[in-house]
Amino acid sequence: MVNIENVSFSYQNSNEASVHNVSLSIKKGESVLLCGESGCGKTTLIRMINGLIPHFYEGEMSGKVLLGEDEKCQMDVSDSELYDIARNVGSVFQNPRSQFFCVDSTSELAFGPENMGLPEEEILSRIDKTVAEMKIEDLVDRDIFAMSGGEKQKLACASVDTLSPEIFALDEPSSNLSLEAIEELKNTLLKWKKAGKTIVVAEHRLYWLKDICDRVVCLKDGRITFDMPMAEFIKLQEDELRKYGLRSVKENLDFTPVDDMENIEETIVLENYKYNYDGYDALDIDRLEVPKNEVIAIVGPNGAGKSTFSKCLCGLMKKFKGYMTVDGHRYKNRDMLKNTYMVMQDVNHQLFCETVREEVSLGMDEEDDAKIDEILEKFGLKEYGERHPMSLSGGQKQRVAVASAILSNKEILIFDEPTSGLDFYNMERVAELIRSLKNEKTVFVVTHDPDLVRRCANVVICFENGAVRREEN
Amino acid sequence: MKVCNTKKATIKRGLILDPRTKMLFLITITTFALGGAGGERTTYTVPVLCMFPFFLLLTARRVKTAFIGVALYWGVNILMTFGNAIYLTGVLYFLVLGSCGILGRFLPVIMMGRYLMESTTVSEFTAAMQKMKISEKIIIPLSVMFRFFPTVFDEANSINSAMRMRGIGLGGKHFTKMIEYRMVPLMACCVNIGDELSAAALTRGLGGTVKRTNICKIGFHIQDFIAIGICVIPWILLIMDVLKW
Repeated sequence: MVNIENVSFSYQNSNEASVHNVSLSIKKGESVLLCGESGCGKTTLIRMINGLIPHFYEGEMSGKVLLGEDEKCQMDVSDSELYDIARNVGSVFQNPRSQFFCVDSTSELAFGPENMGLPEEEILSRIDKTVAEMKIEDLVDRDIFAMSGGEKQKLACASVDTLSPEIFALDEPSSNLSLEAIEELKNTLLKWKKAGKTIVVAEHRLYWLKDICDRVVCLKDGRITFDMPMAEFIKLQEDELRKYGLRSVKENLDFTPVDDMENIEETIVLENYKYNYDGYDALDIDRLEVPKNEVIAIVGPNGAGKSTFSKCLCGLMKKFKGYMTVDGHRYKNRDMLKNTYMVMQDVNHQLFCETVREEVSLGMDEEDDAKIDEILEKFGLKEYGERHPMSLSGGQKQRVAVASAILSNKEILIFDEPTSGLDFYNMERVAELIRSLKNEKTVFVVTHDPDLVRRCANVVICFENGAVRREEN
Repeated sequence: MKVCNTKKATIKRGLILDPRTKMLFLITITTFALGGAGGERTTYTVPVLCMFPFFLLLTARRVKTAFIGVALYWGVNILMTFGNAIYLTGVLYFLVLGSCGILGRFLPVIMMGRYLMESTTVSEFTAAMQKMKISEKIIIPLSVMFRFFPTVFDEANSINSAMRMRGIGLGGKHFTKMIEYRMVPLMACCVNIGDELSAAALTRGLGGTVKRTNICKIGFHIQDFIAIGICVIPWILLIMDVLKW
């Protein structure tokens, strides 16, 4: 169904090729998992299958990508137009925010078939069929901007489904999803598999794909390192997986942290944490006591109130009436804004200056070069002091944001999904960074990543419907 | 674990008007309220026309916006009319007159534009453009723009939060750099999102050679005819003015 023959590709403005001479043949009805460290070339391969390379992302390409079952009328991706490829390949991307063309869900479902110029009745019956099969009656006629990440990703799958392509190409579809939402994504993929579709998924989180994919292809530096059946792959030991920079296949979904809490001396008390949007209670917590200077993980399904909680904690919600008591001081909205800092999921939102040095010193009361140097050294950013923050890698940007929070004397740090879309090593680096803040700062980590929680948190608080679900510990 | 109950938000549409009617309204208001066409004859129709955007906002349940808008509009107009009577003179009078004049003229147009953006979905908009036989080459970029605005606001909101956490704001010590600090990340984010959006749209077949269909049902109803009727009045007056009847 998909034949990749001796393909190499290097992006424009990049000296290194991201894929070197890769050949891969995928049969009809086969489901293939592409894995490997960040930057190994799996996204590039996906883009070659859906035609974004070479039609959208420019660069130098050699080799051929052929689609289609019949030898005679195979479609050469580089010679076909994107809208013709779209009939055969459906794509789902990583970021649920940026894969919608419409603002309401029903038009979104109709968007693909409309582009194909199908008659109206045909489109409507296709939508009905998709909605019934995927059980998404509750997503019809909604404002997409008001949907949770999980719902958006489900809608993205559904709107690809209405085109009923033969091949599905998914690029890290689970990155921003909670465990519950991943479970639903898994069901969608199983449905496609049952219908005999060909599926290619590039992913970092592997556990949910073990019942879906039949074959695992691992890449490193643009070359295939191994290509084996799933049955063999799941037998690999943890240390072997680490060698390839992969996360566990048998992911432990337990959120219990590894190191137990030592006896707590000081605590932070949060009171009256309540917030509603137009009569809809997003957050409803009377009192919550958390240990000071420890790492607290906030987990729970998409839409359980985690983001509202973290925004309230930062003092960003103007109508918010709750308060926090630290060392006998009572902080209200304005003080919380001064004492807390959130490292956002998209760090690009919070880097303002022209150099890293300027960036980290922005919030300091008075500039203290020695202190800046010390912090930059600690976060491994010393040689980047004069670089533009936007030119750094994702992990480095995150560290710049943390460094700036520390230098502006923030007491409480909040990380909003710091590991979404990261491979094993990068995830471990983030965990290390968070661990290093312990005993100096109180850190809240909002996350869907059990691996991260186990590696850095002391306390786990699970949110459900805007309230805290009591855990055993 | 059960899937949480999410906020069931459907789009607040208000009075359902055909996008073409809304566009006609926008053009009419721009011409007469902002452009001041028609001179003497339309003096009494313009304030009436200017009330419609607020009325439409009311039907879309934007009560607060609508009331503030109406109050501002009339406040400004009253000041303009009676500025002389309350002995405003010199520079002050000049300032009041200038700012009121600008506000009074722009406000209804901005409100109408806002209503148009908020109450029209991308597909309704494209359907309307297609019915007006406008080329796909113009429709696609315009509809992308339509889709892009809410995203830009979303991004700007997040950046604003980030700035508040860093203590950059009115009265902060980095006050002078506020615009630069806001623009740099906004540009970076919008470029990224724009790229991702186009990629997603292209993989779903946008820009093909076949004629697009549109499942969106738009058409003129009684409320459209009433609205068009209202819009026609100042145009007739304008024609009469030009022909010196």
